[in-house]
Amino acid sequence: MFVQTLLTGLAIGGIYALMAVGYSLVFSILNFSNFAYGSIIMLAAYISYFAMTKLGAPISLAVILSILGAAALCFLNERLAYSPLRKRRASSLFFMISAMGTAIFLENLVYAVVGAHFYAFPAVFTRTNLSFFGASIAVLDLFAIIFSAITIFALHMFLQKSRTGIAIRAASYDIQVCSLNGVNNGALIGLVFGLAGGLAGVSGTFLGMKYIVYPTMGWITNKAYIAAVIGGLGSLPGAVVGGILLGVLETFVSAYVSSVIRDVFSFSLLVLLLMVMPTGLFGRFLEEKV
Amino acid sequence: MYQYITGVISLGLIYVIATVGLSVFTGYTGLFSLGHAAFFAIGAYTAAILTYFYGFNFYLALALGAAAGGLVGFLIGWPTLKAKLRTDYFAIATLGFGEAIRVLLENLPITQGARGLPGIRGETTLPVLVVAAALTIWLAWNLIHSRHGRASIAIREDFVAAEMMGVNVFMGRLRSLTFSAASAGLAGGLFAHYFCFIQPSMFTSYMSTQMTAAVVAGGMGSISGPVIATLIFIGIPEALRVANIWRLVAYGLLLVLIMIYRPQGLMGYRELSLDMIRGWYRRVLKGGKP
Amino acid sequence: MSPTMEGTLHSDHVLELRRVTKRFGGITACKDITFDLAKGRIMGLIGPNGAGKTTAFNLITGVYGVTEGSIALEGQAITGQRPDRIVRKGVARTFQNIRLFRNLSVLENVVIALDCHETYLLPASFLRLPSVRRREKALREEAMRFLEAVGLEDKAAARADSMPYGLQRKLEIARALALKPRLLLLDEPAAGMNPEESLDLARLVRKIHDDFKLTTLLIEHHMDVVMSLCERIFVMNFGEKLAEGTPEQIQQDPDVLKAYLGEGFKRAQHI
Repeated sequence: MFVQTLLTGLAIGGIYALMAVGYSLVFSILNFSNFAYGSIIMLAAYISYFAMTKLGAPISLAVILSILGAAALCFLNERLAYSPLRKRRASSLFFMISAMGTAIFLENLVYAVVGAHFYAFPAVFTRTNLSFFGASIAVLDLFAIIFSAITIFALHMFLQKSRTGIAIRAASYDIQVCSLNGVNNGALIGLVFGLAGGLAGVSGTFLGMKYIVYPTMGWITNKAYIAAVIGGLGSLPGAVVGGILLGVLETFVSAYVSSVIRDVFSFSLLVLLLMVMPTGLFGRFLEEKV
Repeated sequence: MYQYITGVISLGLIYVIATVGLSVFTGYTGLFSLGHAAFFAIGAYTAAILTYFYGFNFYLALALGAAAGGLVGFLIGWPTLKAKLRTDYFAIATLGFGEAIRVLLENLPITQGARGLPGIRGETTLPVLVVAAALTIWLAWNLIHSRHGRASIAIREDFVAAEMMGVNVFMGRLRSLTFSAASAGLAGGLFAHYFCFIQPSMFTSYMSTQMTAAVVAGGMGSISGPVIATLIFIGIPEALRVANIWRLVAYGLLLVLIMIYRPQGLMGYRELSLDMIRGWYRRVLKGGKP
Repeated sequence: MSPTMEGTLHSDHVLELRRVTKRFGGITACKDITFDLAKGRIMGLIGPNGAGKTTAFNLITGVYGVTEGSIALEGQAITGQRPDRIVRKGVARTFQNIRLFRNLSVLENVVIALDCHETYLLPASFLRLPSVRRREKALREEAMRFLEAVGLEDKAAARADSMPYGLQRKLEIARALALKPRLLLLDEPAAGMNPEESLDLARLVRKIHDDFKLTTLLIEHHMDVVMSLCERIFVMNFGEKLAEGTPEQIQQDPDVLKAYLGEGFKRAQHI
């Protein structure tokens, strides 16, 4: 039971980690929570679902389309809904409202246009479960863990080694100094959103495959915010650790205590952490932009 | 027909009461409550349980419903506001709170869970609503135009500067939250005795969203603005028979557009006044600025 | 309208800093800062950017907590107290990048400052009792008087951010005065001003000091403002004290010249 719960927790933790990293990328640069990120994840799931069912694409192509599509949408979101505010130096309150508006708009647009049906992904793996130390793990989950790990590693390499990646890391410390050093801030921010969108493409697809696809599935991104706080706001490695930790803890609570209070547990954990240890495990607590 | 119109007006007034309270919190103090429907639900259930199971007087039950809402708002607010959560994380915490209340309502024996409470006495009439709305607006107006209200406004404008002006930011926020929770509780009690049936699924994030949208669209820093916006939001879809879903798509888009093109909303930082109406009248009649 | 200081004076010094140190993780922003500011005096706090001057202000006003050391206002310790409490005890501060309530009117900005010492209760606010109405009227009148003191009375209804920069600065100062402080902290009040504006501002600070006998601590980079206004100057560099003395002493101090004023400064003074 213990190993089983742990494995299930790791699987969902991997997905949380992906979402948390995407969220933290934007957060660390702009110091704001992109509440519309969840709807991008949701759209990514729809993209890969329809790619597979309507276009008959294999899973690999579906994921690629999803990554590209989500990256484009996330980039557009920034350009249309946030950059006018950024140019005006609006306070964080306005960004939040704009993000919320975008989320509401996208979710309900999908409801209205596509419908409220729940869509289940076609089965991808022929063998559904593998045995592992007396517990079974879904092949899908194992695949999700491995793929998440690869994606995060690739991102890590990009941020550490490439010039653009270094620019992004510099921007997360002080974006104004960056532009003084010749970095084109607007382009950089667009790129970061694109990256976050790409990550959403992966996490959205896996979420859709693991569970089901429906318009409000983006609300699971709340877990990403919690994971980011656990790991430490502003820290990307923290987001990964936070995501995995949250996934595991949640699953244990769900299995050993009660599944009904799972979400209440997570939110309570969030509030408790913010009160007691706001910097989380690795983070620098970022002051709100007034 | 008359019945129908009074129905729409009644529903509008119920929401006006809750929205005016929320405008004190979001519009004047600058914090988001994404789970505000929870206070509405608390007021509804408290008042309904008191009249249905214990035969309380309607007006007393309403008052206690409002008090219950206010008390819970105070209790939730104390730790979360003390922790000085940033605006976005405070909003996420309110989401969690809304979720916790929903779980509670679905699982307590006295609320009869997801089945809900039918057969509540229908004591909410139009005159009662008009008086209640007028009372709430009067109290809110007095609060805003006092030193306590100014403290809230200062907090919204720049909480760092507000502190430097001797404003106790924590107390100011807590005051606003308590007032807005109490008015939501009052609206909830009226709601329960209007529809005569309540269940947890009626108090969703859709309700919280609509209220927040009305505050933003009406104008943060105005009371008449959100009142007008609420009446429009309730009235127009009824008049046009537009389906619920598209209404939400419109809210989302509206929020983003307002943030970009007219962040001060309909009324901006002002109230509807006789001078304003005279000004429009002159402009329309004379076809130019007075 | 001068700040009243009857009875409870424990010390001649309005402000006392003793070995105040502030560390942010690995960075020491302030180290062992010690100085006194006597009642009614104007003192300048100067030094290169990053020397820790604004940090010192933030420590005095309670925005940051001290890592070590103590701060006393008129003999009473204020170390570690909440900023709004410290403001109510009598410390007013202006900001380097003006922090007015931009969407509010000029008058409202001052009224909010006056609210600081108002005491009518919340239930009275809700019911708008006659006493509240009287107090509100009185507050507005008093706010107008403060605006008149700085020459902004005809802008009372204008939005705070609709005014030119120089007037916004004046409003910030009017707001600080409306707090009826015993200690006024001015953070680069002449920032972004040309020589005439700086002179005008220096005259305003001098007038305020003379009229209200207000103890003032001033951070400034415009040396002409500092040297003409301040009776004593405290120089900081890299978070530590570099020198302290009268303007004449500071202008001769070789360490100060080297670190901050520049050798040319001494020569320029003789032109």
